[in-house]
Amino acid sequence: MFAVERINIIRSYLREHGKLDVHSISKLLNVSEVTVRRDLEKLEAEGSLTRLHGGAILAEPETLPESREATEEERREEEDLEEIARVAFLMVRDNDVIMLTNGSIALRLARKLAGRSGVTVLTNDIMAALEVSSQNANKAVLLGGSPDAESKAVFGSLSEANVQKFFVNRIFVQVDGISEQLQLTVSSQEKAALIREALACSEEKIILCEAARFSRNAFYRLGPLSLASKVITNTSVQESYKTRIFAMDLQLFTSINAFEGGA
Amino acid sequence: MGAPLLELRSLGKVFSVDFALEDISLCLESGEVNVLVGQNGSGKSALMKLICGQYVSDSGSLLLGGEEVGFPSIHDSRKAGIAYQQQDPQLYDNLSVAENVFFHHFTRRRFLPSTINPWRLKKECAELFERLGIAIDPAALIAKLGYTQRLLVMAAQTFVAPGARVVIFDEPTAGMTDPEREILFNMVGEIRGRGIGVFYISHKLDEIPMVGDRVTVIHKGRIAGSLGVAEADRDTLIRLMTGRTCSERYPRLKVERGPSILSVDHLQSGSVLKDVSFNLRRGEILGITGLMGSGRTRLANCLFGQIRPGGGSIRIEGAHATFSHPSEALARGVALIPEDREQNAVFNFQDIVQNMSLASLLRFKGDAGLDTFYMHELTDEYIRILGIIPGHPNDLMRSYSGGNQQKVVVARWLMSLCRIFIMDEPTRGVDAAARIDIYNAMNDLITKGASIILISSDVDEILGMCDRVLVLAGGRIACDLPRGEATKAQIIDFASA
Repeated sequence: MFAVERINIIRSYLREHGKLDVHSISKLLNVSEVTVRRDLEKLEAEGSLTRLHGGAILAEPETLPESREATEEERREEEDLEEIARVAFLMVRDNDVIMLTNGSIALRLARKLAGRSGVTVLTNDIMAALEVSSQNANKAVLLGGSPDAESKAVFGSLSEANVQKFFVNRIFVQVDGISEQLQLTVSSQEKAALIREALACSEEKIILCEAARFSRNAFYRLGPLSLASKVITNTSVQESYKTRIFAMDLQLFTSINAFEGGA
Repeated sequence: MGAPLLELRSLGKVFSVDFALEDISLCLESGEVNVLVGQNGSGKSALMKLICGQYVSDSGSLLLGGEEVGFPSIHDSRKAGIAYQQQDPQLYDNLSVAENVFFHHFTRRRFLPSTINPWRLKKECAELFERLGIAIDPAALIAKLGYTQRLLVMAAQTFVAPGARVVIFDEPTAGMTDPEREILFNMVGEIRGRGIGVFYISHKLDEIPMVGDRVTVIHKGRIAGSLGVAEADRDTLIRLMTGRTCSERYPRLKVERGPSILSVDHLQSGSVLKDVSFNLRRGEILGITGLMGSGRTRLANCLFGQIRPGGGSIRIEGAHATFSHPSEALARGVALIPEDREQNAVFNFQDIVQNMSLASLLRFKGDAGLDTFYMHELTDEYIRILGIIPGHPNDLMRSYSGGNQQKVVVARWLMSLCRIFIMDEPTRGVDAAARIDIYNAMNDLITKGASIILISSDVDEILGMCDRVLVLAGGRIACDLPRGEATKAQIIDFASA
C-alpha cells in the first residue's frame, strides 16, 4: 500500500475517532508500527495531528504547523538515502563479509543488517560499527586510525595499512559526487586514499550515490565509475545516466518502490 | 561472369533506438540459394523487407542485374521480379486455393479479370499440385484449410510467381512437418534450377544443407559471416549467431526463492503447444525464450485465460487455475503484460489515468461510481515512482514515447496488485533508460514476494535477469536450466533444433 493511501485512511480514521493508537492502526493497515509512526510524523509535520506516546490525537484547529518542519528537500534526501540503504541491504546475504566505507548510508545500512545473521562488517565508520556490534547475530570490525569528529569515522595511513589485511565479499562505497564524465569523487583526500585501498580488497564493488549527487563534483577524484560492477542510486536519476551506465555494461540498481502488494 | 543477379551495397536503415541494419553487403547469384540465419530480431526479415520495398533504406544501394534499383513499394518490386513470401500466411480466406495460388497472375495485364477461366484455373492448379505432390483440393476455400495447408498454398503461390528473378522465402517451414518440408524443398530445388536466386530465411539449422548453397548469418543488424554450406557446421553457425555475451549489465537482485506458486502440467493448446510443464516459485523470475512460433505467446495467453488450453492443468498454490477469461486470471492475481504493446495494451486516445487504472477499477469503487479523485492521486504517485515523462495524468497516451507507454502498461498491472506477472517481451522497442526502470521494478516485485515469467527473445536479457531459463521449441520445453549453468550458445542451440 502506498503512503498516500495509508495517510488518507489515517486521516479519515482520525477525523472519525479523534484519536488513534499505533498498534491498532498497524493491524488495521497490515503494515509495521514503524511505518505508521513515520506516517504520523508526516501528518504531524502537516499539522493535522499531534503525536502522543503510542498514538496521536487530532490537532486542535488553532495549532498551526510548527516551525520544526523538515523542509521538503530534507525529507526527500532522507527518503533517498533510506531507499538506497534498502536496496544495498537486499544485496547482503547471511554470513557475508562486507565492508562499508563511512557516509550517511553506512549507518542506515548497518541498522538494517539486524535482519541478517552471521554477517561480518568491516568499516571505518564508528557509528556503523557500534550499531552492528549491538546486533547479536552479526559481527563488526572497526578499522584503526585517526578519528575524525565531523564524519565520525577513522582515516589515515594506519587505516589504509589496516584495511589491506582483509578480504571481503563485497564493499559498499558511498561517494560524494559523480561527474558528467562518470568520475567518482569524494570530499577528502584521506577518504579517497582509504577507499582506493579498500576497493582492492574486495570481490564485488558497489557504489552508492544519491540521484541528487550526480553531475556534482567533490574535490578529490577517486577514479572512473567503471571501478565498480554495481551502482545503486535513486530512480529519479537523469535518464542520460541510466542510458550511459547500461551501455557501459554496469549494473544500475535504482530504488524503485513501485509495488504496493506484498510485505 | 557478369554482374551478380542481386547485389546489396552497404545497405543501412535505422529503425529505432536499439535496432538498425548497418552496412549490409551481400550478393545473390542466379540459381543460388542463400540461407539467412540469425536470432529473433536480428534483422533477417527487416533486411528482406528492405530489399522488396516495404521499407526504404537510409543508405547504400541495391542492384538488380547490375542496375541500381529502388522500390517504392512491394508492388513495384514484384513487378521487377522479386517474389517475397511473408512469414505468416497472407491469403484470401474467401477465395479458392486455385485463385490464391495464381493470384499474382491476375494483376498482370495478360490475365484481365474478364478472361479468368475458372475451369482452366482449377485444372492448372490441380496439375501443379499433382506434380508437386500437394494433396489439397484446388476448389476448396482457404478459410477451410489448416495452418500447414495454408503454408503450402503460400509456397505454391511463390513457386508460380510470374516473372520472378529473385524469390524470398521467410521461414517457410515454421509449423510444417517432414512430408510438407520435403515438398517445399523440391519446390526450392526446382526454382533454383530455373536460374532464379533464392533467399531462404530459416531457424532450423539442420535444413541448411538440404536446401542451401550459402549461409549468411545476421547478428544485431549486421552480417556476422557468410559461408559456403560445406564449411557451415552447427558449431560455427551458433558461434556466429551468438556474438558477444553481454548479460553483465542487467541489474538483478538475488532473492531467496519461496515455494512453488504456479504449476503447469502437460499443457497443450492446438498444434502450437504440445506438452509444456514447469513450476514457478515465489520470488522467482523464470525466463522463457524460443523462436517465433515456438508457442511462447500462446503459453502466456493460456495462463492468462485468453485462450482456453486444450489439455493439461494449471494450478496456483495447488488450486485449479485454468481460466476461461482474463478477468478470472486477474481475480486470482495473474497479470499479463502482452507482447506488441501497440496492438494489445495501449489505448492511444485515452489519458494516462484511464490507461493505468483499467485493471484495478475495483480498487476505486466509491459510494457513487468511481472515486476519480483517488484514481488521479494514485496515478500521480505511479507516474512519480516510475519516472513517467512528461507525466501529466490527463495526457493522451498516444503522445508518449514507447518507453513511457510501456511504463504506463507496467504500472497498470502493478496497480492491480497481482502476484504472478507474465511479461511478454516487456522491453522490446523500449529505450535503455526505461529498460533500467522496468528491470528495477521487476526486482521490487520479487523482493516483495511476487513472481515473474519473463518471455523474451533477447537471450542476454534472459540470462541477465532470470533465475531459471526454459527454452521452448516446437511447443515443448527443450531445456530447463538454472541461470548459472545456461550459456547463450546453449540456449540458441536448443532453440534452433
